[in-house]
Amino acid sequence: MTRETRAAWGFTAPVLTIIVAVFVLPTLLAMAMAFTDYSIYALADPRNLHFTGVNNFTTLFATPLFWRAIGNTLLFALLGVPMAIGASLFAALLLNDATVRWKPLWRVVLFAPFVTSVVATAVVWRFLFNTRFGLINQALGAVGLPGIDWLGDPNTSIPAILIFVTWKIFGYNMVVFTAALAAVPQDLMEAARLDGAGRWTRFRHVTLPAIGPTLVLAGVMSVAGFLQIFAEPYVMTLGGPAQSTTTILYFMFDEGFKWWNLGQASAVALVLFLMILAVTLLQTRIARRNEWL
Amino acid sequence: MSYEGDYSPHLMPDFTAATGIPVDVQSLPTTASHEKLLTAHAGSALPDVLMLFNGWIREFAMIGAVAPVPTPALTAGIFPGIRDALRIGGVEYAVPWSVAPQVQYYRRDIVRDAGYDTPPLDWEGWLQMARAIKRRRPDDYVFLMLLNWPTALLTMMTQAGATMLRDRATRGNFRSEPVRHAFAFYAQLFAEGLAPRALSTEVQDPVAAFAQGYFAIWPSSPTTLLDLRRREAEIPATRWGTARLAGPTGPGPVSGDSASLCVASSCDRPQAAWALVRHMTSRASELKFQRMIGNLPARLDAWDSPQLAQPVLAAFREQMAQPAPIPPAVEWERIQSEVQLAAERVVRGIQTIDAALAALDDRVDRLLAQRRALVDAGKLA
Amino acid sequence: MKHRRAIITNTLVVALGLLTIAPLAYMVIVSFMPRGESGTLPIPLWPSRWSLENYHELLVRRQIDGAWFDYRILPALKNSIGVAALSTLFGLLLTVPAGYALAKLRFRGRERVVQLLIAALVVPGQVAMLPLFLIFRQLGLVNSYAGVILPGLAGIFGVLFVRQAMLAIPDELIDAARMDGAGEGRIFVSIVLPLLTPIVITLALFLFLGSWNDFLWPLIVLADQHRYTLPVAVAAIAREHAADGELMMAASVVTTMPVLLLFLALQRFYLTGLLGGGVKG
Repeated sequence: MTRETRAAWGFTAPVLTIIVAVFVLPTLLAMAMAFTDYSIYALADPRNLHFTGVNNFTTLFATPLFWRAIGNTLLFALLGVPMAIGASLFAALLLNDATVRWKPLWRVVLFAPFVTSVVATAVVWRFLFNTRFGLINQALGAVGLPGIDWLGDPNTSIPAILIFVTWKIFGYNMVVFTAALAAVPQDLMEAARLDGAGRWTRFRHVTLPAIGPTLVLAGVMSVAGFLQIFAEPYVMTLGGPAQSTTTILYFMFDEGFKWWNLGQASAVALVLFLMILAVTLLQTRIARRNEWL
Repeated sequence: MSYEGDYSPHLMPDFTAATGIPVDVQSLPTTASHEKLLTAHAGSALPDVLMLFNGWIREFAMIGAVAPVPTPALTAGIFPGIRDALRIGGVEYAVPWSVAPQVQYYRRDIVRDAGYDTPPLDWEGWLQMARAIKRRRPDDYVFLMLLNWPTALLTMMTQAGATMLRDRATRGNFRSEPVRHAFAFYAQLFAEGLAPRALSTEVQDPVAAFAQGYFAIWPSSPTTLLDLRRREAEIPATRWGTARLAGPTGPGPVSGDSASLCVASSCDRPQAAWALVRHMTSRASELKFQRMIGNLPARLDAWDSPQLAQPVLAAFREQMAQPAPIPPAVEWERIQSEVQLAAERVVRGIQTIDAALAALDDRVDRLLAQRRALVDAGKLA
Repeated sequence: MKHRRAIITNTLVVALGLLTIAPLAYMVIVSFMPRGESGTLPIPLWPSRWSLENYHELLVRRQIDGAWFDYRILPALKNSIGVAALSTLFGLLLTVPAGYALAKLRFRGRERVVQLLIAALVVPGQVAMLPLFLIFRQLGLVNSYAGVILPGLAGIFGVLFVRQAMLAIPDELIDAARMDGAGEGRIFVSIVLPLLTPIVITLALFLFLGSWNDFLWPLIVLADQHRYTLPVAVAAIAREHAADGELMMAASVVTTMPVLLLFLALQRFYLTGLLGGGVKG
């Protein structure tokens, strides 16, 4: 072993050990547990633990709430990703405009929500969304619009939480996009302008191809992020109303740490994992085909 | 947990003074306490003495989280009906402490304006009164029954005569006439706009809403007495009263959040722990606690006290002798939440009652699958 | 034309900025309102008088009738600071050298390790939580600070982040030092680390924020309220005291302000690190 190799393993071994111990090993165990009936009865007496094959999955697939949780989570992702990415891109393009002043200040302001705690700001937004005493309905009333039962109506609970989430996270991708926009080739932009290309054409044919890979990567990360929503419904709605904000992770938490059906909860975790894997593979494939990556 | 947790520290100085044992009280949010305690047990991190709602005792006893009561002296003098309901396989695991049956708090003025001295105690009369109130106050509601809080509906089901689990509590029994009757009545209150479709996360301040007349009838536990006393400036005592909850043909058994004290089996100083339980369930402590948070003493001799002769407590006193039975399945806590979810779907018009009850039976049968297997194998009584 | 455009864009930016900052500003304002004021109509936008009662109730241990009342927010603040500081420190010690090694040191299996790490990014951490709890239970780590901190130290993202930044540094610098006979540890400390400073600060803030704001795992693993971190403590109060809007806003202020201030102090490094211009040389 050379000195360099020894040093390399010395540098990497500690973190790799921890990764294996608290991440790889438990993940493998979770996959195994998904095929057992680990529940409160096994907690009472280990002899009540059995290998049950795909039983957890058949039960899961026959549970309406599981499908609701999947549906809700997909809805979160489907609406949330365009909302969040759109907001980030809009803010980045705006800040990229030559006429905007005090850019560093605005960048800090728009980024600020990202560093705050989800729990604390969820409490704040729950307060803002209050039907009778919330600032948001007050503002709607001021312009003559009727108040909305934001967190109390199953049809608006997901949009309400998404407004909060978008507010919370858009600053991050805004900064990422700002970096990407700085790399848009200015000579190409100038050439397009001389050719008489309009603003939209220039955006479509110069800006977008240049920031494409960043956009795709941000998209992949956002989908994965939205599929893992938990703290927001935990604090704001307890998964309600009518379970309209029960997400896959919320469902897993309930099954696992509320009712101690660890077998069932592991099956849920496995499904979540497969979903994220599938979405990621799909997105990278589409991106490759279109040569964005 | 709620006021029991917030106010328990008041019981500790006497105990510490008498025994020299300092006590650290920790309070969990009610809606998160079941999961926190279960997780704490799984992680061997339970406190020495813990309060459990009566419906959870069977579950915590089965997983070996709580120790049996070491001497019958601890539960001697407790209301027999309450004590016997908590015996599991002939063994006592908990000392009944804080009895909290629900009653209806009503706004005297609003009820009187509708032509009633006190609310009727049967469902039909209740409904008539509610409609009369709603006619006079169309922008407000009559009842506050939070959609993620199962107590009101469970009470209705019990009063309608439902047995919710069958076959030695291994299967759901929700497609039965009494359950359907209770569900229909419950749903009707929402459908007619007599109760708001609201979750506990949405009603920012129920006491203020009660004071403002946003609703006039509030099925709630004795701790609301404390809230109302504290907020007397907003709602003077002359403006509200208490009565037993209405049943199909008159008052009946009622679900509540009555709680008992247990000692963790992992506790390494059981003597001190049981001494604390003895102190907290003593006549003096029970009366002190009643004065502070409203919950009623489980101890018979406490009821000699003139303190409990106040008119406002009469409804509780009658009601506490008739607790709703707790089905003998450790899954009961979870089943309750499934019942409420089914009810919420009906109330919000997502499912019909028949569809919701069929789905509920199906769901509950699955939840009880493991219990069924154990009972069939004779491993569980 | 140019002028009109400037007005439009600047107005938009100001509007967006105000909209973004409004919830945080309102949180601070309500936290200073006297109790109950926010639950009155019309909704007040400004306190009738600036009151500290919410902070007093939240932070100060009070004796009423001989019994102590305490939301245990100050201990939670202390716990959060301790946990986040240790997570950051250990996180840096573990990930920075590893990221450097995976970028610049030649050894067999390096590419394989990097590939596996990238693949692991896709696995949601929550999958590991259930068995991890059972493992920690066996090891007696449930309800301990070590139990809270450990999972966060599996810094896959951090390692890859440092590696990415490291790739931009030319090999010549390191090779030259090696020619001069410097040891690997020496090279890392005196050549690599100074170059990486902005990246390390960015990562440190990242780790600190991640640990400070972490919720699900501390919620599961901590049982004793004396050990709660701030988000767990605040979530517990939020369930029971939803009625007390002003009190909850004060709790939110206490939870968000420390990290906001930290971010403001370090924003130049942090945003530059994120913008990718973070590595000198």
